[in-house]
Amino acid sequence: MTAPLLAIEDIHAAYQSGVDILQGMSLDVPLGGFVLVIGPNGAGKSTLLKTVFGLLGPHRGAITLDGKPIAGLPPHEVKRLGVSYVPQELNTFPHLTVEENLRVGGWTIRKDAARLKRRIAQVYEIFPVLAERRRDKAGSLSGGQGRMLSVAREMITEPRLMLVDEPTVGLAPNLADQVYELLQTARKAIPTTILLVDQNVSDALRHAEAVVMMNLGKVKAAGPVAEFGEDRVRDLIQECLLG
Amino acid sequence: MFSTELVVQTFISGVMIGVLYALMALGITFIYSIMRMINWAMGEFYMIGSYLQYMLVAFLLGPDLWWLAIPISAAGVFAFGLVVQWGLIKPIFKKPPEARDDYATVVTLALLLLLRSLATGLAGPNQFTPGSNLPIVMVGPMPMAGARVAAFVFALVALALFYGVLRYSWYGLALRATSQSRVGVQTAGIDVLGIDRVAFGIGVALAGLAGALLAPVFLVFPTNGLITTVKGFEIVVIGGLGSIPGALIAGILLGLIESFGAAFIDSAYQNIYGFALVLLILAFKPTGLFGERGREA
Repeated sequence: MTAPLLAIEDIHAAYQSGVDILQGMSLDVPLGGFVLVIGPNGAGKSTLLKTVFGLLGPHRGAITLDGKPIAGLPPHEVKRLGVSYVPQELNTFPHLTVEENLRVGGWTIRKDAARLKRRIAQVYEIFPVLAERRRDKAGSLSGGQGRMLSVAREMITEPRLMLVDEPTVGLAPNLADQVYELLQTARKAIPTTILLVDQNVSDALRHAEAVVMMNLGKVKAAGPVAEFGEDRVRDLIQECLLG
Repeated sequence: MFSTELVVQTFISGVMIGVLYALMALGITFIYSIMRMINWAMGEFYMIGSYLQYMLVAFLLGPDLWWLAIPISAAGVFAFGLVVQWGLIKPIFKKPPEARDDYATVVTLALLLLLRSLATGLAGPNQFTPGSNLPIVMVGPMPMAGARVAAFVFALVALALFYGVLRYSWYGLALRATSQSRVGVQTAGIDVLGIDRVAFGIGVALAGLAGALLAPVFLVFPTNGLITTVKGFEIVVIGGLGSIPGALIAGILLGLIESFGAAFIDSAYQNIYGFALVLLILAFKPTGLFGERGREA
């Protein structure tokens, strides 16, 4: 059996001392996989991604990327190791142009000007609408285009692992479908591994390969997507909510 | 009465002093736009810049090399700013953000008192002035002190440099991005605490530069940063907190209002005219002329 790309073991993390949001979370993400994390509000799903990316330091447990410990590293160092994070909020710089946003996304490869130029060109090939609007301010993009730019920006550095937090929240159903297509495109084009947190369970299940259900900061159930039919998911969420 | 010549003279004088005020305001608003904190000790960095200028001219370089002392003074304040950020500000930013503003206020107010007391203890309450052998210069129809014209030219060069770095360098791009989203730059792999360090250094260096440039005009003493700081905050309120174009335009506006008020109403109330404008802005546009929309580093 091959070692996972990302291994999380018994992680405990808190925003305030003494109030752990993650309470012994463990999870493996295989190389090239598409793992979906679901669970009720307050389960710790977004906190899990923030902890992996270094925005929140765990006080117990281990996180390894390709066997290398990354728990507690600051975000810029985690990024350099090939991890990208797409937060829940629109992650663009509204007063910068689309092209400037992409250049910021390529910060870690800025000294390799040829590679950066090539990557931006490749992203424009994948998302022609961004090429058309390259000189426009990101703040003038529509909601869907903004999401596209958020994902595209994280694709510039060809990350090995993309952490994606509720990318469809607040979007119309047709735009939500576009976002999942975006993630699949990114996965194939780079190629990359995806750890996705999503409340839009029924749509996300169609794209994922494996599912982890979280409750109260730890794993309640995990397995291949085939084991997570809508009925089972509903039953599990009811169990979580009713205790 | 109101001759054209007097109006032109007053206009030139107002623009020249306004650009110098804008340096201080730019420092305040630049630090705010990146770090979302107000450095209440900006006047003390101005004061340090003026003392450095005085000491370099009086004891090391001499009046002929006053121009060399100016970038050295600004660089000295920049280096001191890096140390202050590393030792006093960075620890605040490593903690969760809940009480960050409160801590930053307490720390920078304490720094203000410390630096002012140190200056009084070390140099006494005396007033100094760095020698300047610059002749009177004719600006259009108006004779002006060479030191003031030189200060204006230096300020313009500094502003052009500042703009060039922000607009055309990788670091400027990172600074502009940080002013819009601190999480966003972290997801891009930018060390946000490193950006804070440089931004704080640049912000206080702008204040130090203003101190060095205005030292021959407003003199050098422990509390000389007070008036300029007050004017800096007036400009920030007028232009909009966090707005760099706002700081520049409001700086010139304040200079013009003070200058015209002093020339055509009463020079005794020169510092009051700016406050009147602040009150008007607060009444009709509390976010300042360039408010939130203009926030861009």
